[in-house]
Amino acid sequence: MDIDIRHIAKLSRLRISDDELAGYEKEMSDIIAMVEAMPDIEDELTVDPDNAMTLRSDETVSEKIPRDEILKNAPKVVAGCVVVPKTVE
Amino acid sequence: MKLYEYSAYELSEMLRAKKISSRELTESVLCRAEEVDGKVNAYIYTDREMSLKMADRADHLIASGKAASRLAGIPVGIKDNISTKGIPTTCASKMLENYVPVFNATVMDKLADAGCVISGKLNMDEFAMGSSTENSYFKTTRNPFDNDCVPGGSSGGSAAAVACGEAVIALGSDTGGSIRQPASLCGVVGLKPTYGSVSRYGLVAFASSLDQIGVFGRCVRDAALLQDEIQGHDSMDATSAHRSYPSLYDGLNDDISGLKIGIPSEYYERGVKPGVTEAVMRSVKELEKRGAKVIPISLPSTKYALSAYYIIACAEASSNLARFDGVKYGYRAKDCDGLIDMYERTRSEGFGREVKRRIMLGTFVLSSGYFDAYYKKAKLLQKRIQQEFDDAFNSVDVIVTPTSPSEAFKIGERVLDPLAMYAADICTVTVNIAGLPAVSVPCGYSESGLPYGMQIIGRKFDEQTILNAALAHECSFGGFRKPAI
Repeated sequence: MDIDIRHIAKLSRLRISDDELAGYEKEMSDIIAMVEAMPDIEDELTVDPDNAMTLRSDETVSEKIPRDEILKNAPKVVAGCVVVPKTVE
Repeated sequence: MKLYEYSAYELSEMLRAKKISSRELTESVLCRAEEVDGKVNAYIYTDREMSLKMADRADHLIASGKAASRLAGIPVGIKDNISTKGIPTTCASKMLENYVPVFNATVMDKLADAGCVISGKLNMDEFAMGSSTENSYFKTTRNPFDNDCVPGGSSGGSAAAVACGEAVIALGSDTGGSIRQPASLCGVVGLKPTYGSVSRYGLVAFASSLDQIGVFGRCVRDAALLQDEIQGHDSMDATSAHRSYPSLYDGLNDDISGLKIGIPSEYYERGVKPGVTEAVMRSVKELEKRGAKVIPISLPSTKYALSAYYIIACAEASSNLARFDGVKYGYRAKDCDGLIDMYERTRSEGFGREVKRRIMLGTFVLSSGYFDAYYKKAKLLQKRIQQEFDDAFNSVDVIVTPTSPSEAFKIGERVLDPLAMYAADICTVTVNIAGLPAVSVPCGYSESGLPYGMQIIGRKFDEQTILNAALAHECSFGGFRKPAI
């Protein structure tokens, strides 16, 4: 199967150079060829009633991590805010 | 015998009897790491001062009689995808090279409460994607039994550190075999617990429906001790199981008379080296001598498991790794021309090749027009594989297979062939697909002295039975053999 690596990379927010393209095409095609051997199964996907997730109820967060501490990991911070490149001209 | 050479359960008794201090033990382990890590490359991060401070705290707890846990004062190595507050957590990726978490994973809180000492953060394949630890951004970990060979992966640092005494015990994570396969290749015990029995809160997600934190030790008792400490329900993880978790260590019993062992023919066929099969079957015969009964079984969908696994795992990875965009934390590309440029360059520069390929594979199988052909089919196969295990466990108590189809392979041998690399997981992925517990134990050695591993698979939440079978095997086989390093 032909896979449009450039299109898939764009969907994945990745950029693939011309040098890398042929390698990825070959590897992805080999992997897809392997997984295409999976049999067709006449069935539908259902939620397993024995393993339903028990979700916790909403609650007020009592333990807060200080803003400064969290922002220490941010690549660019100005006045306590995360800065990203301009998105609106 | 040096302190780092003892098992955790022996050291626990020595600490509680005040024959040794945690500081002495921690010094011994850190010195061992300084001595051999130049050859092995197991650690990404160590902090002597931090570890010794923890050891002093443990000594104080023990001296004041407040140490409730058997693991108080024992140094534990931590795979570097487990969030450690104030200690770098890189996932062996350039993307998180400078990331320092502001919170602890639940398992880390539990180890801190127990009075454990963190010996350091251990190397792995980037974001746990790989079977050789060659995909680490920082360095390739080497097998302690042969430095030219891989230690397995993705928890290769954890397995290698435990094997050569750089850690007494260690935490790893297992999405498709990432604890059991390196345990097998490094000749140690590795337990992948039942999905839901150990909180995943703070484990950096790869494939959330398959990921599970688990343990490494040089013997079955040590694996049981560490699993006792980390298992249990956690409200911070929606998939955490509500149930009671009795002590596995206290329940250990090597009497396996009447145990029914299933041998699935499918795991002894494609690509499994004869030496591996012989070692496993020899061990099964020994278990028979101890009163177990061997029953041939069939798990016919095994041949499709690798395909189903890579589709499900990559699909989840493509979603989970979307968070790494250079905005709030982690790597950000320099001099970007707008937001999209920043996303694309950050991710292209920050992720390694294997991670990028898996993200793209996951994106492809979930993309418009391909969902039914790949993802849906893989999920239906998962259901069938789970059913086949359920049926098998109606007639047997445990299932025994090889852990890895071969002994450790040479560094660089499979790097350029993803399918050859993926084949290393052929015996282990089904266990994650079905959410079962399994333990790998050393069961033999190749002519060149590289370890073989045997995998014992159990029913959901029946870790006790597989550990008891593993203990019985260990009694017959003789247990851990030190690498000559």
